[in-house]
Amino acid sequence: MKKWFAGGLLLVAVGYTIYGGSTLMLYTQSGRPAAGFFPLMIGLLLIVSCSVNLWFDVREWLQERASGSGHAHQPEPAAEGTAEALGLDTHTIDGGQEHARDVVIVFAYICGFVAALKVVGALLAMIAFMLVFLFTFDRSRPVTNIIYSLALPGFLYWLFKILLNASLPLSPLGF
Amino acid sequence: MFSEVISNLSLGLSIAASPEGLLFLLLGAFVGMIVGLFPGFGPAAGIAVLLPLTFGLDPTTAIIMLAGIYYGSMYGGTITSILINTPGESATVASTLDGYPLAQKGRAGPALVMQAIASFFGGTIGVLLITALAPSLANFASKFGPSEYFLIIAIGLLMLTTMMGDNKFKGFISALIGFAVGSVGVDVMSGQQRFTFGSPELIGGVYFVAVAIGLFGIGELLHCILNGQHRQPAEKLRISFRDKEFWPTRKDFAESKFTFLRGSAIGFLAGVLPGSGATLGSIIGYSVEKKVAKDPENFGRGEMRGLVAPEAANNAASAGAMVPLLSLGIPGSGATAVLLGAFMMWGLQPGPLLIVNDPEFVWGLIASMYLGNMILIALSIFAIPLFVKFLDIPYLHVVPVIVLLCVIGAFAINASIVETWILVVSGAVGFAMKKFGYSPAATVLALVLGSMAEETFLQSYIISQGTLSVFWERPVSLILSIILLCVVLAPFGLKLAQRVFGKTEKHLAHQK
Repeated sequence: MKKWFAGGLLLVAVGYTIYGGSTLMLYTQSGRPAAGFFPLMIGLLLIVSCSVNLWFDVREWLQERASGSGHAHQPEPAAEGTAEALGLDTHTIDGGQEHARDVVIVFAYICGFVAALKVVGALLAMIAFMLVFLFTFDRSRPVTNIIYSLALPGFLYWLFKILLNASLPLSPLGF
Repeated sequence: MFSEVISNLSLGLSIAASPEGLLFLLLGAFVGMIVGLFPGFGPAAGIAVLLPLTFGLDPTTAIIMLAGIYYGSMYGGTITSILINTPGESATVASTLDGYPLAQKGRAGPALVMQAIASFFGGTIGVLLITALAPSLANFASKFGPSEYFLIIAIGLLMLTTMMGDNKFKGFISALIGFAVGSVGVDVMSGQQRFTFGSPELIGGVYFVAVAIGLFGIGELLHCILNGQHRQPAEKLRISFRDKEFWPTRKDFAESKFTFLRGSAIGFLAGVLPGSGATLGSIIGYSVEKKVAKDPENFGRGEMRGLVAPEAANNAASAGAMVPLLSLGIPGSGATAVLLGAFMMWGLQPGPLLIVNDPEFVWGLIASMYLGNMILIALSIFAIPLFVKFLDIPYLHVVPVIVLLCVIGAFAINASIVETWILVVSGAVGFAMKKFGYSPAATVLALVLGSMAEETFLQSYIISQGTLSVFWERPVSLILSIILLCVVLAPFGLKLAQRVFGKTEKHLAHQK
């Protein structure tokens, strides 16, 4: 996945630079830098650095494949730096079994929640998200899940809509 | 000079000590401590997620509350470091080394009290130094031209990325991503639209709040889920300050009296330097304390000085990080970058003139830090049993709170569904960045400083008629350029030195 992410970044960098180069001017008529000058600099730097980065990641992947080992967990930079400075195993700070499937599920629920915001309104979308989320991961306490799914969205709706007078999407029923 | 500082502080206290100021400071500190309790959820994420809640407030009150969250999370992060060996955030990792062994020895109470006192000491020394340094630095910086500003931004970003262990290169890419996202919208120099794809919602640029909430809030949350925090049972802990063994002994204080000072001084210096911040400050504080101790073998086995040093350091560093933010308008960390974004959101113009143009705001914020430290030491000692009870809440029930706050908060800013989707995309990118070793903090920092970096770079380019000679012709620019070069070359120099000395040692060993 790491190399795919690096590859994706390179593609975005190339797209950014080409699109910027084709739609923006580099210099004004008086010879001064125009709107495209800085983006072009950033784009070129991104392309070079993302290419080198992709090369490093692919090389690491090839080495792992050759040795038959793989990184089960990529430590977070802060934890890695800290562990290095303290002489500890990074795994003790930022490790453990991975739950990639749960990440996909939660992310899909978040996308569904945002998609539902304009359709059913903020309050109903919040309640639906909470019910679906809590019943996916903990079915042993249905009453607690239901009460929590009503109480928290109710509180946040009151806080944002009534207390802070924020503009939240309304349901077809008007709340 | 001294009388001026006192009069400015009095002005600040009159604002921060108002009933409204105190109420929101207390609220911020309390929420910050809770934010600090949850592992993986640091001050940057806490401030970003809770930022939309401050929209109804006036700028000074709002920033006082956000600053309360900022240093409250430093206090709160240590509680879990001591009690369950799980640092609430990276700046409190060093506190686990002796904090947890102290708890295992049955000295959790004294450890919690001493960390609160050390945090108070470090935070207060830090604020005293801000009071002394920020106005002088702002005065000095008011003479800076665009070249100096560009170099300071470049040094800050490079230092942030070079502090990232083996991931320096990925940190550099993260900063470039921030600049690229920051280039969306209307160009400040020519007024031309860039990368808007015809969308009116992108003309004003990619709003940093949605990106910051996504990268820090949703990104951190997904990373915590990946690590399985949502499947872990809640920690059932009980602690009472009425216990006889709750309070530290005289010996604890006597042994740590110089540790408070050393930790605070080291932490403050680390905080002032862009990019290094509280994590590095606490680690250096711990290492120095161990080096100067006559009994270094006791460190790591429940030594009180091993807890006091990083705690004083990380809180002093949090205060130190405010110096470049308030005097130069340049943040040195993810959390202060979000604070800077909040300054801009409220129409404040960060930079050396902020202290001149908005003295009520700056001195109100500084005064709130003094009060905040007092509130936090009281909360940290007398409300420990209450905060420990928060650990009873399973992470599974914390997840929806974070998601709802992030999504509803991002939508509420401009009632924009496009920005809400930007939040979701930023969340996915932030998660991938964390997982694969990139730096969301560098991205947010570059996003916030992007337009300033572009403007100052182009001005320098135009002034020097395309030669960029302005970067070494002005004395301050020359010094900053040399520092920049040192920051770039230092890692290579260190690697070279390691190779040369490594070879010499091997050669000597071989000769023997």
